Amino acid sequence: MNVRRVVKWTVGVLLIIGVVGFLAFLYLIPPFTLMAPEEFSGPEAAAANVVKLDAIKDPKTRALAERGKYIVVTMGCVDCHAPPGPTGPDFARYMAGGLKAAYKGHGTFVSANLTSDRQYGLGRRTDEDVLRVLRSGVSADGGRQLWYRDMPWAWFSNWTEEDRVAVLTYLRQVPAVSHKIPPPVTEGPMTYDSAAIEEGSAVNAGTTP
Amino acid sequence: MRFLFSILLICGIGFGGVASAQTTGKAIYDERCAQCHGVDGRGNGAAAPVLMPRPRDFAAAQFKLRTTETGSLPTDDDLIRAITYGVPGTSMPGWQKFLSTADVAAVATYIKSFSPRFAAERPQGIPTVAASVPGAPTPQTVAAGKGVYDKLRCAACHGTDGKGTGAIATDLKDDAGRPLPATNLTEPWTFRGGATPQDVYLRFRTGMNGTPMPSFVTAASETELRNLAAYVLTLARKPVWDMTADEVSAFYQAQATEAARDPVRRGRYVVSTIGCSYCHTPVRTDGSLVDGMLFAGGQKWTATPFGDFVSYNLTSDKETGLGAWSDDQIKAVLTRGIRPDGSRMLPYPMPWPSYASLTASDLNAVVAYLRTIPPISNRIPAPTRPNIVSYLWGKFQLLILKKDMPLVTYPGNAGSAGGE
Repeated sequence: MNVRRVVKWTVGVLLIIGVVGFLAFLYLIPPFTLMAPEEFSGPEAAAANVVKLDAIKDPKTRALAERGKYIVVTMGCVDCHAPPGPTGPDFARYMAGGLKAAYKGHGTFVSANLTSDRQYGLGRRTDEDVLRVLRSGVSADGGRQLWYRDMPWAWFSNWTEEDRVAVLTYLRQVPAVSHKIPPPVTEGPMTYDSAAIEEGSAVNAGTTP
Repeated sequence: MRFLFSILLICGIGFGGVASAQTTGKAIYDERCAQCHGVDGRGNGAAAPVLMPRPRDFAAAQFKLRTTETGSLPTDDDLIRAITYGVPGTSMPGWQKFLSTADVAAVATYIKSFSPRFAAERPQGIPTVAASVPGAPTPQTVAAGKGVYDKLRCAACHGTDGKGTGAIATDLKDDAGRPLPATNLTEPWTFRGGATPQDVYLRFRTGMNGTPMPSFVTAASETELRNLAAYVLTLARKPVWDMTADEVSAFYQAQATEAARDPVRRGRYVVSTIGCSYCHTPVRTDGSLVDGMLFAGGQKWTATPFGDFVSYNLTSDKETGLGAWSDDQIKAVLTRGIRPDGSRMLPYPMPWPSYASLTASDLNAVVAYLRTIPPISNRIPAPTRPNIVSYLWGKFQLLILKKDMPLVTYPGNAGSAGGE
């Protein structure tokens, strides 16, 4: 009799601890505002773990790439151009793309793979193709004009051409990640109304072939 | 009879051709040009408030890049050249890779329909322009050109060194009343009309309509303007892509020194490129930014499950903007996500973990520039948090069910100024 009671109580207490613990876990898991600012790993740490500029032999390329890195890091390109995960961007696959934004009536757009991968990344693009996107928002695929709220090219068009070339030089140093990005699905012009919902902060829309 | 029939047929084909060019031109324009130049051609497209310089207003019909007399309309070839090759130093791309010559011509025809001037006037060509081919610059023409630079007082706007920092350079405005910096003549890769001696000469000869750059046709002779072009091209410095490693380092060092000397200028550059106005400006239902409210905040989102957020007023308004904030308070938000009341921000929508990497001198520059933004009164509501149950349920969906959580963007201004 006593044994059954002990078991019953134990199970009950464990159950309560489990539920409370689970709720606490849900509450506390990042991103959470009580985390110290220094504990967030920002774009700089993400870049440092993956892109090794010290290994560049040509000192001029290195100088340009360093400048480009500063712009790319402070701009936060990786916030959109990293595969998203439930607790934030997957910085290990730095710049591999895959963040999806879907708007009712406007279409579905997935951030591009900016790594030097020759099949799916910027490795398949010419310098001018990359610079054109960063200057005018005109995609190398058929010259499609990217919508400035999907890819904020309008601000990058204000870079000096010299800074834009520095950004390109840096992006060329990003190691290849084989990560396939689906093409955009365009439905119509953008409308923000109560029904127009942007989705996709948590699920990676890219695939690893 | 057969003759009449032929005439009718030719007219029919001709008319049909014009009509289809108009339709093609409009279709291409709406798809590729309207985002900047606006559906009605007024240079007020969705992205226009951000762009420096602003996209051309085709309804105003003031064109900078022409081979025609000052004040005149451009020729069709002038328009076609700009569409085909783009405009250096601006966001205007060359479309030659993506559009056929027929498509480009159709777009040029459509652009002309935005202003009645094209139907009423003819462009006044300059016969000598096409005929005269400038010779290669010589020490003599360059020296003579220096004299013309002084005589025409080019330095008042472009500076004695050509860097665009002349005495009245900061007061310059275009015809629409917007500030327009004098061109830096040491960076020929940014010359809007190109950087051959002929291109540069043309800007002196024709002037740039809609801007403070006049035509010097009455103030100087043909030869003087040719010599001036030769001289201006000697002001060029090397671009970074032609520099050696040591030159690149020295160049960046000089830029840093210049930024410390003029932090407002550097701050304007950082802010205009880093994208603050993407969020800190109300957005209309069609996704365009509200022009007069740049940096006044008021864009609202619901980021499930974290609550509602409204972008802050970054103008120098003392009551509702950053006017009463200390430098350190602004920097704490920018680099650590800590508000003046001590509360903490999420790492998004405000991407402060990126700005944490700004150098101390760039941070100073950004703060210095933000202080110069004219005040706009727009009180921003505090973020609202969901109740604990919705929050936990939202996180359960996000983390366990792997559901796409919607981020809703609301059009209009959620601040006290209201309006669009």
